[in-house]
Amino acid sequence: MNTVQGISGEPTRLPCETDSEVNPMTLEAALGQMLSGISLGMVWFLIAAGLSIIFGTLKVLNLAHGSIYMLGGFLCYHITSTLSPTPGVFWIALIVAPLLTATVGGFVEVLLLRRIYGQDMIYQYILTFGLILIIGEVCKLVWGVGYNTVAAPWPFQDAVSLFGLAFPRYNLFLIGMGILVFVGLRALIGATGLGGIIRAVTHNREVASALGINVPVVYTGVFMLGCWLAGLAGALMPPMSVVALGADLSVIIDCFIIVVIGGLGSLPGAFLGAIILGLTTAFGLYIIPKLAVAFGFILMIIVLIIRPWGLMGEPD
Amino acid sequence: MEEIKDKLELLRGRIPRAILFAIFCAFMIALPALIGKSWLNITVEMLIMALAACSLNLMLGYTGMVSFGPAGLYAVGAYTTGILLAKLGTGIVPAMIAAPIMAAIVGWGVGWICVRRTQVYFALLTLAFAQIIWTIIFEWYPVTGGDDGLVSIPTPDFFFSITNSYYFCLVLVASCIYAIWRIVNSPFGGTLQAIRENPGRVEFIGVNVKRYQLAAFVLSSLFLGVAGSLYCVFSGSAFPDYAHWTKSTDMLVICLLGGIYNFSGPIVGTAVYTILIKTISKHTMQWNLILGVIVVLLVLLMRNGVVGFLSQKLSRHR
Repeated sequence: MNTVQGISGEPTRLPCETDSEVNPMTLEAALGQMLSGISLGMVWFLIAAGLSIIFGTLKVLNLAHGSIYMLGGFLCYHITSTLSPTPGVFWIALIVAPLLTATVGGFVEVLLLRRIYGQDMIYQYILTFGLILIIGEVCKLVWGVGYNTVAAPWPFQDAVSLFGLAFPRYNLFLIGMGILVFVGLRALIGATGLGGIIRAVTHNREVASALGINVPVVYTGVFMLGCWLAGLAGALMPPMSVVALGADLSVIIDCFIIVVIGGLGSLPGAFLGAIILGLTTAFGLYIIPKLAVAFGFILMIIVLIIRPWGLMGEPD
Repeated sequence: MEEIKDKLELLRGRIPRAILFAIFCAFMIALPALIGKSWLNITVEMLIMALAACSLNLMLGYTGMVSFGPAGLYAVGAYTTGILLAKLGTGIVPAMIAAPIMAAIVGWGVGWICVRRTQVYFALLTLAFAQIIWTIIFEWYPVTGGDDGLVSIPTPDFFFSITNSYYFCLVLVASCIYAIWRIVNSPFGGTLQAIRENPGRVEFIGVNVKRYQLAAFVLSSLFLGVAGSLYCVFSGSAFPDYAHWTKSTDMLVICLLGGIYNFSGPIVGTAVYTILIKTISKHTMQWNLILGVIVVLLVLLMRNGVVGFLSQKLSRHR
């Protein structure tokens, strides 16, 4: 799996695939595809989790979430290339880039989004669509239209042999990170006082406000958390893929599919949805490359017809 | 500023709407004599875009359904005409009649699923279907030409002259927009607006809301199909980009720019949007950045669009 642009961008090509005939799938190949799919799904999960948390609490569908992800990728590239000879430079980028995207998110929430809560949804869409244009163009101005790469960091450069198949260590690291963030977020929201406040605001804004919770600050915080997650995904992705323009639009559609499959506003739903979409994309590419791009959408439509509120969501 | 407003007010009072409308019609008919070929080209594009935006607004402004996928149905119209002309070699008349019918059929199928859900889910479903249409166009190489699109589609000699194309588009677009105007001002249109205001209450008085929403979806698709077909004939080509979701957001921005709660909003929005893009792109490469800033300011400061803004200003002085 070389690129993130699975569903909506340019059709992704795997090294092993052929267009003409269906590959006979061996057990090893199947396991390899499964791991690729899951590691891709984990990066998607980070983005979709941010999107889902923001929607759950703020009731805002942030179309520009993919742009924040792309910004994280460019920042990671920028930091690693400027500080190039320093050892462990990727790990610095992995910490700094998400913090920067969270800051950008904070400004967006305070200066722009705060003015349109409670308005028709179309204004949210159009406003965040405007942000897609602005962030995309700023990235183009600063980093240009080329494809930039970031080397896989120590100690995850080489491949590891799994089931007789060479598998990049970095992908295993991504899977670990995805699970870690999932567990961490669950703990944060489910078991801490801060999480309690977020849940209270999510359930009932007015009552939470009446109980003395500073709702605007919670909104800003949740939006920044979502943008931090998107930035983290953006910084994690470059060693597995490339940093380039256009990632914003392709990734946001993948994330929509994930949150709709899993249920908007549900964290476990986003996790499940991301794994399902990752696997669907990986196996779809392997079996019927031509139709792979449509699989995610078909899945989403089936879920919406059978269980419109998503697999893990709640009926409204 | 005040003086100008007073004068405008005076003008509005003295000249009845009918005369203003007649002047506008005369202006549109005389246009090819007044402007150069390149601007006439742009005007034709504007006419087609105005029709597409009006069709979208039938759903957006009048029924309150935010669709992210109008470009998909627009592309169905364009490709139906394109494939009939280029691959099957039919005449221009059946090719152009088939386009809205095909778009309406596809719109009926898509709409049937989409209207089951509202709000965010409706928007996402329409987006998903538009992307599926894009994927089909992109991948079905033997029929649609894939990412190369359909180029040099054989159109009748009539369309080689830009003036002929202009009048053809003007007549067709004007009649379609008139049809949409009749629709929104009919009892049916009234029901759609009632659904926009409060779907729950409309359901209570015994109206099948879903059926009306589906009807709005199909009608909107039909006119989008006409717009797509016109554009295909006018440009002699069809590309997968027609179905891309950025095209849909273009249409949404146009509607919002003009004002979604006025019938003329999308038409004015098209003119403003096209002129904005042409002037900005003349001066700078970064027109996306400026467009983004304009869109953000629009949402923050001028939510009812240009037409809503002006009519508010004028009515305040009445």
